[in-house]
Order: sequence, then C-alpha cells, then structure tokens
Amino acid sequence: MTRELINRFLIYLLIAVCTLWLIIPFTMAVLWSLVDPAEPWTADKLMPPVVSFYRWHNMWVNSSLKEALLNSYTLAPSAAILTLLLAIPTSFALGRISFPGREVAKVIALLPLVVPPFVTAIFFTSLLFSLGLHAWRFGAILFAHSVLFLPYAIRIMTVSFEQVRQDHIDAARDLSASTIARWRVAYLPALKPGILASLLIVFIQSIEEFAIAFIVGSPNFVTIPTLLFGSLGQDFVRPNAAVLSLILVVPNVILMLFLEKLLRSANPSMSSGKGMA
Amino acid sequence: MTWRRWLQVILLLTPGLGLIVALIGTVVYIAIVQSFGLYNLTGESLLSAEHWAGVLERRAYGRAVRYSLYIGILSALFSVALAYPLALWLRKPFTGSVAVGAILKAPLLVHGLVAAFLFINVIAYHGVLNQFMQWIGLWEGPRRLQNDSNAIGVLILQTWKNMPFALLILTGAVQGISDDVLDAARDLGAGSMARFRKVIAPLTISAMQAALVIIFIGAVADFSFQVIAGPTNRQSMAQLMVFYKDGGRWHDAAVVGVSLMVVALVGSALLAFAARFILSGRRFR
Repeated sequence: MTRELINRFLIYLLIAVCTLWLIIPFTMAVLWSLVDPAEPWTADKLMPPVVSFYRWHNMWVNSSLKEALLNSYTLAPSAAILTLLLAIPTSFALGRISFPGREVAKVIALLPLVVPPFVTAIFFTSLLFSLGLHAWRFGAILFAHSVLFLPYAIRIMTVSFEQVRQDHIDAARDLSASTIARWRVAYLPALKPGILASLLIVFIQSIEEFAIAFIVGSPNFVTIPTLLFGSLGQDFVRPNAAVLSLILVVPNVILMLFLEKLLRSANPSMSSGKGMA
Repeated sequence: MTWRRWLQVILLLTPGLGLIVALIGTVVYIAIVQSFGLYNLTGESLLSAEHWAGVLERRAYGRAVRYSLYIGILSALFSVALAYPLALWLRKPFTGSVAVGAILKAPLLVHGLVAAFLFINVIAYHGVLNQFMQWIGLWEGPRRLQNDSNAIGVLILQTWKNMPFALLILTGAVQGISDDVLDAARDLGAGSMARFRKVIAPLTISAMQAALVIIFIGAVADFSFQVIAGPTNRQSMAQLMVFYKDGGRWHDAAVVGVSLMVVALVGSALLAFAARFILSGRRFR
C-alpha cells in the first residue's frame, strides 16, 4: 500500500514536471506559429489576440521552406536506400560467417558514432575541396549521410541475419531451391523487419542531421535543420521558427513511434510465420 | 579459413566497413596532417608545428577547451544522476509505468534544434518563465536568462536531451538484476543505500559508463546548443573550429579538431575510469 502511495505521488510529480518539460514548450510553439502579424502577441496577453495560418502560408510562399523540404525529403530516402544497400553485404558477413576478428569488425563499424560530427563535417569538406567536388553538394551530403549512418543499418541488419534460421535455409536447399528462391523464402521473411527498421532509422537520422548539411551544404543547399538553425540566429523571427520547429518535429515523432512499434515486432519467428524450435 | 573464404569475407565487408574505415580514416588523417601545415588548400604545404604553437597560446583556445570540458562532464553527470533513480523506480512494472517511461523518453524524439527553440521560447525576456516568476512575486521585473554566462541554459538543454538516453540504457541494466540478488542483500540487512552501493551500482556500472561516455562525447562537441543558448563571451571547441574554418584558417581549425578528438577520447576514458573507481568501492578490477 505504501509503495502504491509513493508511486502515485511520484506519478503526479512527474506529470507536473512533464507539463513544464514538454507540454508548455510545445503549446507555446504551436501558439507562436499561429500568431497573426496584424496583432502581435505581447507580454501582457496570456493568449495570442488574433490567430491565423498566415505564418504557415507566408513561410511556404516566401522562404526556402519548399526547397528545404524537397532537399530533406529527397536526401533522406536516398540515404536510407543507399545505406541499406551498402550495409547488407557487411551485415551478412558479420551475421552469418564466423571469421577471426569478427567482434573487432563489429566495433570498428561504430567508428562514425565516436568521431564528433563537426570534425567529420569540416574535414570531409576539406577532402571535397581538395578533390574539387565541393560544388557537388547533394551528392556529397548523400554520400556522407550514407556512410555516417551505416553503423545503425549494419547493427540492425547483422542481428537480423543472425536470426535467420539455418533449418529454413537447409530445408529450402533440400527442396532444391535456387539461390534467389532460398533468399526469398528463408532469408527475406526474417530480414523484413530489420530492413524496414534500418530504412526508417536512417531516414530519420538523415532528416535530422545538421552538422554535415550545415558545413557541406552552406550557403546554397538548405535542409529543414539548417533552415531552422538560420531562423534561430540573427534572422530570429519567433513565429517563423515555431513553424519550422513543428514541421521538423511532428513527422519525425510519428515515424519514431512507428519505428518503435516495428522494432518491438521484429521477431523472426513471427515474420516467418513459424514457431521457434 | 581458406583464402577463398577470406576473399569472400573481405569483399563482403568492403562496401560497408571498408567505406566507414576509408571515410573516417581519411577525415582523421586530413585533420592531423592539416594541423601540421600539410594538405594546404590555398597555398604551399609545409610541415611545421607552427599552427599548434599559434593556436595553443591563444586564450580563446584554452577557454574553449575548459568550457567544452565543463559542458561535457556536467551534462554527462547530470543526465546519469537524474536517470539512475528513475531507472530504479521503473525497474518493476506498476500501473502507469509504461506511460511514465514513454513520457520520460519523449525528448529522444525531439530534434536538438527544436529543443533549443522551445527552451529559448520559455526563458525569453517576456517568456512564460519570466511572467510566472513575476506573477508569484519572486521577481520584480523580467530577467535576461538567455545566453547566461554560466551556460546553465546549455546544461539544462543537454540534460533534457540526454537524460532519456541514459534512462534507456540504465533501465535495461537495472531490470537485468534479479530479485534474488536484491532479496539476499536485504535479508543480510542491507538498507536502500547499501543495496545501491554494493549491489546495484557494481552490477550496472558498464551501462552507466556507456551512458556517461556517449553523452560526454556528444556534449563536449556541442555546437548548436552553444550557438543558440550558450554564453556569447565564450566558444565551445566545435564553435571555435567552425569559426576558424569560416575564416579560411583550415590549419587552425584542424588543430582544434584534433584537440577535440583527443579531449573526447581522453575525457571519456577518464570519466569511465572515475565512475568505476568510485562505484566499485575504490577497488580496481
């Protein structure tokens, strides 16, 4: 009973803290994005006096938002597909073949997560300059994103490959299935959740990535985070920044929730429709 | 293994692992050689330690190193210190624990720049915090809270963003401790503090070290929180590096970049070592 009381008290406390932590800041952002320029929201007013979608419309028509959305949402799926294609062979080796140094290789695959992102961004730009490729911004950022987010895809796909059941592969082989057929019936069902999770996580990471897009892309190539960063600097207009923040955060929250659901259901026995032995 | 098998493994590793090693290796190599005057993008390359000597004697460099360490260490410690009790609380499921966990981990879904915007919105001169403090009568007038000189804003942002991550790692570790072990400690008369110090902390030390190190590396190399909410009279190492690079001083940027990598590496090793030293009862294992 005492434990229950403590838990209830802590939950109420947590709700209060989270109101400060999450609800108030996000409500403020939504309200600021709806402030109509005809009547400013001054400190003496609790709520914006006039609300409208003017800021949203204005940002859509008069800023680089369209370009940033196009760039971000072209870059992210391209990076997700390219990363997955690059990760599959390595993950197969790490997940299905036993070789000396395999554990070391798994650790080395995490290297991009250890080097500070701005160091990678700046000296990658230096490399692009020396190769004369600095004008090729989209391709350069796509390449950098694909390599930097490889650790996520390799990690997820390695686990997926490890979970492919050998008896399924053997059964397919015994039934004289070709290599392609074996992949289709034995590998693919177990790999499917991992493939989707890898695509989604790299997509989200790429949409959110700031350092590479900022250093390699500036000043001509804008993504949503670089546009938001710009709007938080010397050109700070609170309602415009609120619009950009919501555009950046809302789709990602939905995708992240979907990802979590996907990762929870990433059970090979379920996806292959067979019980575990 | 036969040579054919080796060849197959190497070919399979090349597109993934090979690219990682090539890109990160090249980036680190360029940073190091550029810091010694080589790989000059605008003129003749000349091997020298002159850039190191020049940057190291600048006061801005020393301040940036100290400031980045301050942010890195405190962010890691605050995040872990907040996450530990929460992880212990959520160890056993109870009514509403899933919802509580989800709420606590919500900041993981929010981009750092959005978090910075939300924060400066709340602490703005005429923001909700200032108005609330005046309304309850604690402050007579609005105060300037953004870009405070002690970087409390940056520390709050770092903790806000990183605590859920520490919680994620620590919850898994704490839930892995079996009830039998804790019951045995309780039967032997250990109180809450003794159970934490002698059972929970040693058994979760690896998770705590991982959380400390990952948060430290991210916070020590912070750029965006510092630029948006940090003190205007100080620069973080990442900010200083970008400043040099924007001025075309690639070699000086390289010195700061290499220093940043060293600080991240040495700092995280020391932090992990200190955590083990303190939590394992000052015994080395």
